[in-house]
Amino acid sequence: MKAGSIPASQSATGRAAPGLAARARRHFAVLFPPLLSAVIGLGLWEGVVRWLEMPSFVLPPPSSVVFVMIEYWGYLVSQLAWTVMAAAVGVLIGISLGIIAGAGIAMSGIIDRMLTPWLVIIHAIPKVVVAPLFLIWFGFGVQSEIFFVVTFTFFPVVVATITGLKSADPEVLLLVRSMGADRGQVLRKILFPSAMPTILSGVKLSVSLAPVGAVIGEFVASNQGLGHLLIRAVGDMDTALAFAAVTLFSIFGVLLWRAAEFVEGKLLPWHPSQRGDLASNRK
Amino acid sequence: MTEQTAHPSPAASGSATNGAIVLDQVGKTYGSGEGAVEAIRSISLTFAQGQSVAIVGPSGCGKSTLMRMIAGLDDLTAGSIRIGDRQVTGPVRDIGVVFQRDLLLDWRSVLDNVLLPAEIRGMDMAAASKRAMALLEELDVAGFAKHYPWQLSGGMRQRVAIARALLPSPHLMFLDEPFSALDAMTRDQMNVLLQQIQAAEHVTTLLITHSILEAVFVADRVLVMSGRPGAILDDITVDFPRPRKLELRETPAFTAIVGRIREQFVKTGDLVG
Ligand SMILES: Nc1ncnc2c1ncn2[C@@H]1O[C@H](COP(=O)(O)OP(=O)(O)OP(=O)(O)O)[C@@H](O)[C@H]1O
Ligand SMILES: [Mg+2]
Repeated sequence: MKAGSIPASQSATGRAAPGLAARARRHFAVLFPPLLSAVIGLGLWEGVVRWLEMPSFVLPPPSSVVFVMIEYWGYLVSQLAWTVMAAAVGVLIGISLGIIAGAGIAMSGIIDRMLTPWLVIIHAIPKVVVAPLFLIWFGFGVQSEIFFVVTFTFFPVVVATITGLKSADPEVLLLVRSMGADRGQVLRKILFPSAMPTILSGVKLSVSLAPVGAVIGEFVASNQGLGHLLIRAVGDMDTALAFAAVTLFSIFGVLLWRAAEFVEGKLLPWHPSQRGDLASNRK
Repeated sequence: MTEQTAHPSPAASGSATNGAIVLDQVGKTYGSGEGAVEAIRSISLTFAQGQSVAIVGPSGCGKSTLMRMIAGLDDLTAGSIRIGDRQVTGPVRDIGVVFQRDLLLDWRSVLDNVLLPAEIRGMDMAAASKRAMALLEELDVAGFAKHYPWQLSGGMRQRVAIARALLPSPHLMFLDEPFSALDAMTRDQMNVLLQQIQAAEHVTTLLITHSILEAVFVADRVLVMSGRPGAILDDITVDFPRPRKLELRETPAFTAIVGRIREQFVKTGDLVG
């Protein structure tokens, strides 16, 4: 880690010295290949669709997706906001419940033996398949959608919390026991901080699953949100609108992932994955 | 969350652990039946208060086990241990422990690592911070108080671990191969530092080590243990005046004691790593 960081930072300063031009050239070298690839890909798509004279409801050209996105921008954004709201509420509940359940299971043998079989069985049920049941149980509306997000986001956090809490260094536990720490102190001062990296990786996974859960929830139980918009657009054979919704959704997913990584870096400045040049170079 | 509720044993609840440590026919067997391992067989010993004792012995002879039992971190399977007039039945609070790995918490700064025992015991944090800085000063790492453990060298990390052990001013300090992971030069420095700080803090010290030189240099008394099951082979008083300098190790008197200990292992066929 250290060995890798020194040459990297030296070469960075070494090359910056000749001037800004060199740095700009390097940025360009990084950004150019993906940009070129995007232009070629979209160009081919546009060209093939026009050349074959494909009907727009089968495969719209990228240009009309862009036009639709501009035309319906306000509507699209309001539907995205709905989905994001439902996903956020659901994921917050899912994460909280996940951490509480995970902590209970990791800390108590009785809770472990009582709760784990249930979790294993419920987790094994394909949630997408039972989504329509949520409609029966919770009715048509946002509550069904949120509940669906909760079931999606709960499990990664439970698993990560259990793993994290059980992986604390046994010698450290012996040490704090010799200092006279009680169970609560061990939990707060040792177990949770050392479990943080693992819990956060579970949280990251949950956060990336939450919008997917929300959209599936909207497919069956909502008249709002991107999922509902998608169903309607497909029903109207307005494929360009569907593409616009999907594009917006993907961009949001990428931003969400970036945000999660940023928060992780803020919370774990001490962790090997967050410190040192090697790690930041890799991003 | 009060200190007393956690480990309601007589030794654990005492605020100070004055007096001698007395081991009476202490034995330890891990497991039972076929797979049982007898780690320690009938050890009887007395450590006077303020003494600095070193234990040497072949790997696996039960040195760490013995230390954990005296600290109340491991159960005995035979005999009893008293510190002062209290029977050891649970973790003894009045001990600062240092292990081979420094066990610093990555997410805490050096200062916050040293303050951990103060937080756990609910000590006055302002006073504790002052003492922590004084200890770091004494151990020559005060300049790194705001740094994180991964920014420190191995020797510096171990000095921080010693500061953490000494923070609550314990009457006892137990060190289990604290310098094994350090290079020879750093280790020499640490030996000098250890006996300095031991004198400054008036702390009864129990040092487990594989280095006979280290044992004789640091301790008032060296206990030589046999291979498993561990028993005491020899009990040597080392009364060189303090403070000791590294040159002491070149003197004939010093070499004679080292030779005597080495002979014990040659006799029993145990080699010290
Ligand atoms: N938790 C345990 N369960 C079973 N056996 C153990 C346990 N801890 C130690 N032992 C056994 O007890 C014996 C003594 O172990 P101990 O760690 O006390 O030795 P040691 O003298 O400290 O060795 P080293 O110098 O290598 O650190 C060893 O043979 C070991 O296998
Ligand atoms: Mg040992």
